[in-house]
This record gives sequence, C-alpha cells and structure tokens, in this order.
Amino acid sequence: MEKFEHFIYAILMSPSKKKLVLLITLLAFIASLFMFPTHMVLAKMLPGKSTDTFSIYIDLPNGSSAVETKKVNACVVSILQKEKEIQNIEIFSGMGSPLDYAGLVKGSGFKMGEHVSEIVVNLSSIHTRDEASFMMVHRLRPLIQQTCEPLKMGTSIKMTEQPAGPPTLSAIVIELYGKDDHALSALAQEVKNIVSKTKNLVDVDILGDDIYKKFELIVDKEKIIRSSLSIANVNEILYLSFEGMQIAHKNSENSPSQIPIFLVLSDKSKNINHFSKEELVAKLTAVKLLNEQGMMVPLNELVSVQEVDSTPTVMSKNLQRMVSIVAETDLVSQVYPLLDARSAIKEKLSEQFEINNSHLFDLELKDKKSGEVFTLVWDGEMKVTMDTFRDLGAAFIAALVLIFLLMVIYYKSYAIAGIILLGSFLSIIGVIFGHWIMDIFTKETFFLTATSLIGFISLMGISSRNSLLLIDFSLSLMKEGVDKQKAIANATATRAKPIFLTAAAIILASTLLASDPIFGGLGVALIFGTIAAVIVSLIVVPVLMDKAKAIH
Amino acid sequence: MIKRYKERYLAGYLARVFLHNPLTMVIGVTLIVLGIVALLMMPREEDPQISISGGTIIISLPGASADEVEKVIVKPLERRIKEIKGVEHIYGVSSDSVGIVNVMYYIGENREASNLKLYDKVMQNMDQLPQGALQPLVRPFDIDIDIPVLSIAFYAKDALHVKNVELYKKIEELRNEFGNIPNVAKTELKGEFKEQFNVEVDLGKLASFGLSMGQIAQSLKSLSSSVPNINNKTNDGKLVIFGIKNAIEKVEDIENLIVSRSFGSSIYLRDVAKITQSYDIQNLKSAEISYRENGILGEAREQITLSVSKLKGSNAVVIAEDVLKRVEAHKASLDKAGIGYIVTRNYGERANSAVNELVFHLLISVVIIALLLIVVLGWREGLIVTLTVPAILAITIFIAYISGQTINRITLFAFLLSLGLLVDDVIVVIENIHRHLHDKASKDKEMDEILIEATDEIGAPTNIATIAIILTMVPMAFVGQMMGEFMKPIPLNVPVALLSSLLIAYIFTPFLARKFLKKPNHKEEV
Repeated sequence: MEKFEHFIYAILMSPSKKKLVLLITLLAFIASLFMFPTHMVLAKMLPGKSTDTFSIYIDLPNGSSAVETKKVNACVVSILQKEKEIQNIEIFSGMGSPLDYAGLVKGSGFKMGEHVSEIVVNLSSIHTRDEASFMMVHRLRPLIQQTCEPLKMGTSIKMTEQPAGPPTLSAIVIELYGKDDHALSALAQEVKNIVSKTKNLVDVDILGDDIYKKFELIVDKEKIIRSSLSIANVNEILYLSFEGMQIAHKNSENSPSQIPIFLVLSDKSKNINHFSKEELVAKLTAVKLLNEQGMMVPLNELVSVQEVDSTPTVMSKNLQRMVSIVAETDLVSQVYPLLDARSAIKEKLSEQFEINNSHLFDLELKDKKSGEVFTLVWDGEMKVTMDTFRDLGAAFIAALVLIFLLMVIYYKSYAIAGIILLGSFLSIIGVIFGHWIMDIFTKETFFLTATSLIGFISLMGISSRNSLLLIDFSLSLMKEGVDKQKAIANATATRAKPIFLTAAAIILASTLLASDPIFGGLGVALIFGTIAAVIVSLIVVPVLMDKAKAIH
Repeated sequence: MIKRYKERYLAGYLARVFLHNPLTMVIGVTLIVLGIVALLMMPREEDPQISISGGTIIISLPGASADEVEKVIVKPLERRIKEIKGVEHIYGVSSDSVGIVNVMYYIGENREASNLKLYDKVMQNMDQLPQGALQPLVRPFDIDIDIPVLSIAFYAKDALHVKNVELYKKIEELRNEFGNIPNVAKTELKGEFKEQFNVEVDLGKLASFGLSMGQIAQSLKSLSSSVPNINNKTNDGKLVIFGIKNAIEKVEDIENLIVSRSFGSSIYLRDVAKITQSYDIQNLKSAEISYRENGILGEAREQITLSVSKLKGSNAVVIAEDVLKRVEAHKASLDKAGIGYIVTRNYGERANSAVNELVFHLLISVVIIALLLIVVLGWREGLIVTLTVPAILAITIFIAYISGQTINRITLFAFLLSLGLLVDDVIVVIENIHRHLHDKASKDKEMDEILIEATDEIGAPTNIATIAIILTMVPMAFVGQMMGEFMKPIPLNVPVALLSSLLIAYIFTPFLARKFLKKPNHKEEV
C-alpha cells in the first residue's frame, strides 16, 4: 500500500506524468472507438443460441401438388438421416408444425395447402453434443438447398432456428412499397437477385404467391338455361366430381365423431393424363349432368376452357401495397450484410432508378422513365436491433444524467460530479477491448450485443461508486488539514482494498455469466469494464481530482 | 455510563434497533424460508413471456378476385382498424375469394383489452360488409394458448397392423382424458385421419348406366336421414317409445343402395362405385416421424402429434409432468394396441433444467465469492457476508413471486448480475467495522457502539452509491419493443435486490458481527 501511495503521489507531483496519464487514457478511448468502423468488434442484437431443435420450412411454388411436396420432403429427410446427432425428424405436410416462438411470427400457424411442409429436427441433448445447433444448420443448409431445391423449380427451403431472444419475421426484411403491382413485383425480383448475391445472406425469398398456370371454365349462360340447368348445378357437380364432398353423415357410438360419407370420382377416372387444355376438355366431356327432362348433358357443352395465369395475392401494410423480401444471415450479424446489400442495390439499380436516401437506411427509388416512386424499407431483426440499440442508448444517456444530478445534489459541485461521470464513462474502454479479446479467443464471432449494453449501463453505477468513495475519503482527509496531493494519494491507497475486493466479487460473479450465449456480452462487459473501472478510478480519477479546483 | 453514539443516518438507526432485538434472528430465518418457498412455488419458464397482442380477421367473399377483395373488403376494414388506439401495424392479404387482415398492437399493450377492441371494431362495422360476404372470423393471438409446451408423437409400431383411423381413435380417447388436468388449456392433434366411408365413383360405369353424379348424391342423402325417437302412448297412458334404426351401419348398407331402377332391374351403388370404410382421403395434411431404431434413423412413418398448451401464469414444469404421467399410465395399453410414442417437445423439462442450472450457477458464484472474502477479510468476516447473501436473494425472489413474475432465464440472470453488486454494501460495512475494531481510537468504546458507529459512518456514501446503481437501472425499464419487454426482469429485480442488500447490510451485518467478531486485544498488538 505504501508503494502504491508513493506511486500515486509521484504522478500527482509531476505535471508531465499527469499529462501522460491523461494522454494514454485518451488514446485508449479513441482506439476502442475505432474498433467499430474497422469491424474488429461486431455488433448484433443477440448472438445465436445452441438449442436442441431446429426447423426446416419447405415452400414449393403455388400450384404444386402434395405428391411433389412429398418428394422434396423425402429428399431433405434422406440428407438429415445421415446425421449422427439427430434423435428424430418430424415431418408435417400441408400444414405447419406445432407452433413455437419462431413459427408464431413467421406465420407457421397459417400455413396450408399442398405446397407447404415443415420438418422439425430434434437433436440429442446440448450437453452431450459437440456441435452447436447453429453450426449444424450452417453446415447442412447449402447441402440441403443444393440437393433438394432443384427437384421443383421455384422451391424455397428455409432453415429456421429458435431465436435467442424475441422472435422476428426474419433477420432482414426488405419492404417495397409502390402503386403498380407489376412494376412492384418486377422490382422485387431484381432486389431479390441482388440480395441473394450478397455474401452471408441466405434463404432469400419473396413473400407472396408465385404466378402459375391454371384453367378457367367460362360458363355459357344461355346454353345452361336452354338445357334447363343452373350455374349452381354446374358448380356443384364439378366440385363433387373432382374434389368430392361429404354428402351424408352416420352417427356412431364407437367413433369420436360422426362418420361422414364422402362422394368423389375414383382417382382413375378423375386424373388427367397430362397438363393440357385438350385433356381437360376431354375429361369434362365424360362428366354429365342430368336435367329436369331426364336428359344427360355433358359438361363441356356448358363451359369453355381457357388457360390463364393465377391471380397473385395482394399484400399491403398499413394500407399501402407492399411486397416483402426476407433473408436470413448465416452466423454473422445482419448489420454488415445489410449495408453491403444496400450499396449493391444503390449501385445496380442506379441506371434504371433515381435513388435517394430517406429515413435512416431506407431508400426511395424513382423510375427514370415512368416517374413512378417506390419506397424500400428495412424491417425485421434489423429494425428491432436499431430500435433496441437506440432505446438502450437513450437509457444510457438518461442514466448518465441521473447519476450526474445525484452527484451534484450530494457534492453541490458540477466539477466533482463531472469527474465521477467521466470516470464511469471511461469504463467503456474496457467493455470494447473485452469484446475484442473474447472474439480472438472464441471460435465463433463474439458480438457486442444488447446485453453488453445492459452490462455497460449497470457498470456506470458500479464505477461511480469507486470514485465516490475515493472523493469522499479525500475530502474528509483534507478537512483534517492534509495536503491535497497527499490526501488524494492516501485516500487512493486506503480505498484500493475495498475497490479491489468489490471488483473481484463482480468479476467472479460474472464469469459464469460470460459462458452463456445470450448473457455472454453482459458478463464480458462487466468483467472487462470493471477492470477498466478499477484502473481508471485508481489512476485517472486521482489525476482529475488533482486538476479540479472544486476539491480544496 | 459509556458515551452513546448519536447516529446520523438511517444506517446507524437500523443497526441500533435490530442489534439486540430477539426478532432479528427470526426475521432472518423467515426471510430465507419465504425465499425458498417462492423459488419452489414460482411458475417456471424458459423465457419470459412477451405480451404480444394482435389478431387476424378473415372474411370470405366467394367468387371475388384478389383485386376485388382488396377493394371491397380489405381496404375498408384496414381503415376501420386504423381507428383503434395502440395498433402499430396492419397487414392486409387479399387473395381470390378471401381477405385476411393481420393486426399487430404495440408490444406491451394489454392483451385482453386489445382483443376486445378488435372484436368490437369488427362487429360495429358488420353492416358495411359487401353483399355475399360471409361472417367475419376474428382470431386474436394468444401466445400462452397458441404455443404448446408439450408435444408427443404417437406412431404405429407396425403400420400394416394399426390403421391410421385406429391410431386416431386411440389418441382421441387419450386426449379426452387430459381434460381434467389442472391448467391444461388446449390439446391439439396434427396429422390425424378420421374415419370416413368413401364412395369412389367410376366415371365409365356411370356413363354406361346413364347416371349422373347428382343422382348418386341424391340417393345417398336420402339414405342417411334420421329422426329423433318417437313417443307414443298406450290406451292406459303408458309411454311407448320407438325409433328408426340408422339405415347405414356397415359398408354393405351403402353398397346395396339402389341408385336407379331401369327396365325392371335395379342398379346398386356397388355397380358404379367402390365403397370403403377407411379414412378421409381428401385430407392432404399428414405427419410423419423418423426416429432412431437400433441406432439408425428409420423410415419416416405416419404419426399423430398431440400437443398440449398451458393457461397463462401456470407452471409448465408441473403440467408437462402431469400429462406425461397420464400417458405413461397408458403405456401398457398403447403397447398392446401396437402404438409407440416419442416426446418431441417438452418446454417444462427445458425450463426446469435451465432454471436448475442457473440456480446451481448462482450457488457456485456465492461459494466463490465467499472463498474470496474469507481469504481477504478473514473467515469470520467472510462468513458474515456469505450469510447475508441468501437473505438478500430470498427477499428479491419473494418480492418477484408476490408481484406475479415467473422464474425464467432472464430473472435468474438478473439475480446473477445483482450478485456481484449486492455483496458490495455488506463488504463496505464489514470492512469498516473491521477497520474500527482494529483502530486504536476505539479501544475504550463499547463493542455495540463501535458497530453502530462503523455502520453509520459509511451510511451516506453507501446510500448514494446504491441509489446511483438503481438509477442506472430505472431508464432501462422504459426501453420499449420486444427487447425491452424481454429484458424487463432485469430493471425490475436488480433494484429490489440492491435495496434489500442495503437494508440487510445495515440490519444484519452489525447483528452478525456482534455474534461472530470480538474486539481484538490492542495491548498485545502494540
């Protein structure tokens, strides 16, 4: 302790040493801030979480049949079956799997139709498995997509992991707003292509229906009336023949519900040889209706068949027409690929559109020829991240102001309150360096996350306590008539023990936090921030106190 | 009479009140018991529940194209919904014949009120629906009920032996039994095939007999009509009840249905159609499972998934255990029927293991800190600090319990985070007591007075420092969005832990110091 007291005293007595201390602090602060633009420390809302399960969403283009979907399912399952760590695979065709948090926002509960399916993969327990679930997804994704997507053109296979925190629709959601449907979907296609080429973005897909070929039967009203039939008759017979209907029910004691009687044409007689208008007309010729006069009228006499495009679903958000493009990130934070994709969009579309920045990252595209205006808005996890970081930033500033006010009330001096505030703020150096060091030592990227920010905010309070005790003690020593420098050096040396002790307690309590995927950031922020806070309060704060005229 | 120390702060006052009070010990023990009871009683979850409110409105307009649906249904409805306060986003989906409007409220809006407002708004505007539109369906989100905590996949061990309909009947029976398990909200089946008589008509034969589909439908309908029992009376006033037996009992009953009589001969349904008693062939939804058999993932086979969700605020752990116990009880009969099962999701178990693991971490941290303090401060002082930690945590857990929180990962992280902070107050007090006891100036003072003075002395800076940390947490409670809601247990619990650590430090530290510490003999030291 004596040595430490002399060391502090020596610093305080030499102006050049004091300058050196402040200079080193300033450099360390600038260096830590530079870790953001140089990507030495990467930011993400929450890191990936290794769980015991993940899902695979399979979407064939609209108009695909259950048989085709089953084929793709089988392909995916055959790849999964080679995995050692998989305990079981659940396959749900034509519907979503039992709802989970990811499925809730991704609309899994609304899935229906022959062209969709979901596969849930359950892994062996996280404690006995070496590979993290997100690494497994990372490894399997290209394999599954490259093997199974080509089975049917336009198939999209998405790997869905359970979110570490609150669920979002997707890591990146691009919302395109515009008035004209066709121009909008063309633009969406272009944006999708650009986004698919962006590094680290995977599972890129346009949300919405694909347009497919279908047949439209146009009824000849005159002929229907002349054959003493009605349109309702035609509709009913068509539906009854090809889709089937439950036309009667039987009550039963040993069945949980009524047993329906289902009437339909047999598969053999309703299936059409191949997809063509002629085949369909031929089939309709065989289906006959009985009119009131007891005459049989073939269906093809009453309708004409036309091949048309299906009408796609119209989506809107907040009363504006919208097309959205979703993309997931592969292990990395969504912030950086987003910026890449954004500049790629700006570059590639600049020939056709006049592009202006609007709010934050959002863009406004104006077609050079038609003058139509489209708006491109980033949503999804990105937006949540931005909002969260903004809110936490505001919370941080509010915390700073509150501490400052509290100190002003207690000491009745702006200068002393300022010293305490500065002392606490400098612990940010430790937080950022801590993340950089952890990133070097961990296999996966160690992100600066929302929990790191929470850790940093709580640090403010902790490090202000150190400075507080220091200043309190120095002031009472000076009241007893000790020299300013002497008093500060003595106070620093005496308070060093409890400061070290409380710091050690925080560091030890946080080591277990640091091993958790979500709260790792908080743990690391606390550990390294506390180390920085101790150094700052034992060396920098005494120098600042010496400089402050308010302490006398 | 020894000079009595005049306390200046709350710290010294509390220290004096409780120093000799016989109730201090009782209070301490009570607090710890309350904490343990709360820890065991609190509903456990893996993640805290975020109150997401919203809903879906589905309106069908048969025969309308997507564009028409957008114009006459979705747009007007969206405009009405926009009038509701608290709505953040409205998503409209218009496709052929049906319009869907998804409504998302701001995160944290009261769910019951939001659901009511949505329903109210739709009902108020019923008269503005276009001609031919069907009754709107309003489906509010309900995270608690929508997300099952448990799912079990039942499969036939030998698919040839157990028909899918038999599997369904058996599972439906089982499902009905769960009805009386407390706090079970909804049970759902996925991948089930229901029993059905299928009449598959051969088009060629139909044509050769000169029949139409409409005729067949008509004759089938006439077969299945039934009336309730008929009550008649005898002459002497006794009741005679008779009823018509269901015309359809077996497949043969349908097969022998006469669909037409021509030229004196009857045409039976079996002549033109194949009739089977099997499952609903029009149902294209199906579920399969591939599981490990002898170490290898086997062929995907048909399964029915039974999922169970819980009521809000109930304990997932208990419900999952209850349901599994019931299924276990039926294992033998299921086995006999050739049905096996696999638990494919168990949030209860996951929550329990997550919570237990964190409680274990918490204990390890307490032990590590205790060791550190014992090494640095000496074992008596170290022990005092270690004894106060469970009391502080107990108060925090108990307050969390009575304020209706659940115990989840975030709550426990809040405790872990506060652990590093809450020993500080006690350390500062005990350190000061230690310093005073060993100070030569306190040689002539009474033990009690030293303890009170030492506690009182650091009262002001400790109060301020603790308030400073609490203040840093306050703004965090106002962080909005999903993340703010998700992290809410931290700003809720850390300040409570800090406040109680302050009180415990002032009340119990001097009390325990009096029991454990002795005034050193200064004469020998000099």
